Amino acid sequence: MLEAINLHKRYHQGEIDVVAVDHFSYRFPAGLTAIVGPSGSGKTTLLNLLAGFDVPSEGEVRLDTTPLSTLSEDGRSEVRLKHMGFVFQQWNLIPTLTALENVAFPMMLAGVGLKERTARAAHLLQAVGLGQRGKHLPSKLSGGEQQRVAIARALALNPPILFADEPTGNLDSVSGALVVDLLLQQAQEGRTVVLVTHDLELARKAERILHLKDGRLLRVEEMAREATPPTAREPV
Amino acid sequence: MGVEVLALVYRNLRARPIRSILTLLGIVVSTASMVLFLSFGEGLRKALGAELSNVGPAILVLPEGVEAISPGYPELRPDTLRQIQSVAAELGITQVIPTATFARGGFDPSSSFIFQGLPQGFGPKDLYPNIQLESGSPTPGVAGAVVGGGIAQRNNLSLGKTLRLSPHVSLKVVGVLQKTGGITDSFVFVPIKSVQAVLNTENYTSILVSIDPGRRAEEVARGLKEKIAGVEAQTAGDVLRFAERAVRISDLVRFGISLVALVVGGLLVANTVMMSVYERIREFGLMRALGAKRDFIFGLVLLEALLLGVVGGMLGLVLGQAASGLVNWYTGREVGIALSAVTFRLASFSLLVAVVLGLLAGFLPARTASRLKVVEALGRV
Repeated sequence: MLEAINLHKRYHQGEIDVVAVDHFSYRFPAGLTAIVGPSGSGKTTLLNLLAGFDVPSEGEVRLDTTPLSTLSEDGRSEVRLKHMGFVFQQWNLIPTLTALENVAFPMMLAGVGLKERTARAAHLLQAVGLGQRGKHLPSKLSGGEQQRVAIARALALNPPILFADEPTGNLDSVSGALVVDLLLQQAQEGRTVVLVTHDLELARKAERILHLKDGRLLRVEEMAREATPPTAREPV
Repeated sequence: MGVEVLALVYRNLRARPIRSILTLLGIVVSTASMVLFLSFGEGLRKALGAELSNVGPAILVLPEGVEAISPGYPELRPDTLRQIQSVAAELGITQVIPTATFARGGFDPSSSFIFQGLPQGFGPKDLYPNIQLESGSPTPGVAGAVVGGGIAQRNNLSLGKTLRLSPHVSLKVVGVLQKTGGITDSFVFVPIKSVQAVLNTENYTSILVSIDPGRRAEEVARGLKEKIAGVEAQTAGDVLRFAERAVRISDLVRFGISLVALVVGGLLVANTVMMSVYERIREFGLMRALGAKRDFIFGLVLLEALLLGVVGGMLGLVLGQAASGLVNWYTGREVGIALSAVTFRLASFSLLVAVVLGLLAGFLPARTASRLKVVEALGRV
């Protein structure tokens, strides 16, 4: 279970303190949670803190019972490797590795044997519809294909949490829909999928939407499935 | 380490081929120059060892203060010869051969002659048992000369030709030796009286002493020094030790010179790898985001520098060996000596230096890459 407790992040810009995330608290349940907000609302900073890329000025992120901010950089790397998968808007793949090697990369870090990781990477590529593209370098893949490789890689070690930061931002509508379907599928399988987007239409496919403004969690919108109108409730 | 890591290192170097090749060339040239510089010392060691193994008598007696490899003006008096002969039985000395030497030549080694005077009845085979006669007599006799193979070939000296040692002393070539590729190729063996006449002395340059096979050369040499004042008695081991000291000093000087080239090569690698690190900041950020630890990134960058060092070192070794061959071809043609030698020891040392160079050059870029903050590297601030 991923939980943010009173998360606060401020940066120093010269003599001014800028608050990027303002006392954010939320327990992320399984399923798809979208974080939305205008540009500069603190979405990316929040994701950085949740994923352990950065440490909060105050408060903490807990994964199950472990507070991430008490871990070293390498400790947080290990947590990410074992418990989290990532799909970014861009700079998703290692340019000098083929699609198959990119998917196998986290498994190599985790010490999975060559034969096993190659077979699993091929299987995952097959699952995202890129079974024939394994030997291609990222530069030979379209944007949508690259995002699907990134999803396959994010699932390589079967992590319980998936972070997606504007995953359809650079894609055409057809490619974007394919990527969203894959993310929804992961949420339905019981993973905690955290989707950061400014696209409200995309966010409405989530089970709940966290509205962010000036670093603060304004409200949590629970999306009713099957024609049930969305309901709103206060943050935790 | 996974194949993905090797693929990363290899493909990253291949992705920027011109830069990688230029860097590699820097290491190749610096390693090759070090190999060539140090090969002269190895060549000298090899040549000295080979020459000394060809010397028959176990002990060389010289005037005190004269180094073994540079016998100078004859200073050993006939008294000394008599003194050695008088203690011969006691010390187990079986043969005593006085020699008188003088060199004639110029800056061009191919026109240099070393005249070695031997007593009546002795020939070059008494001093160098492995030497072979090409034609004529094995000893100079009363007024003859037995010439080394190299000198005979270069100066077109054949049996019956006349050699002038001075305006008053001329000798006929009575024997020609086979070429050995060693120092004796430049020797002319003549009667000792002729050299003494040229130098206007009755003294000797050195006295060569053979000993009973049951005796130890070091003990006999010590006995000679104790019993006869004013002489050095040196064994082949002494000569080698002295030569080794001299060669080692010159090795250090030559290594110092090649160090400049090595430092330049190292800086080239450091520059290339550092540039590569700056170009790949996002890539390293992504790896860290995916779960790579700092050591992994450090090792990855270091491996790239190491690969450049190892491949550059190996190619440099090949180039150095080729250059050494070229030097030997030239010196062999000119003076009949292989001046340079790339030994296993030198090859191993050069590769080790190239590896250390790669590691040192890669350390700073590797440290920089491993300490990048994930958010900054990914541009997510």
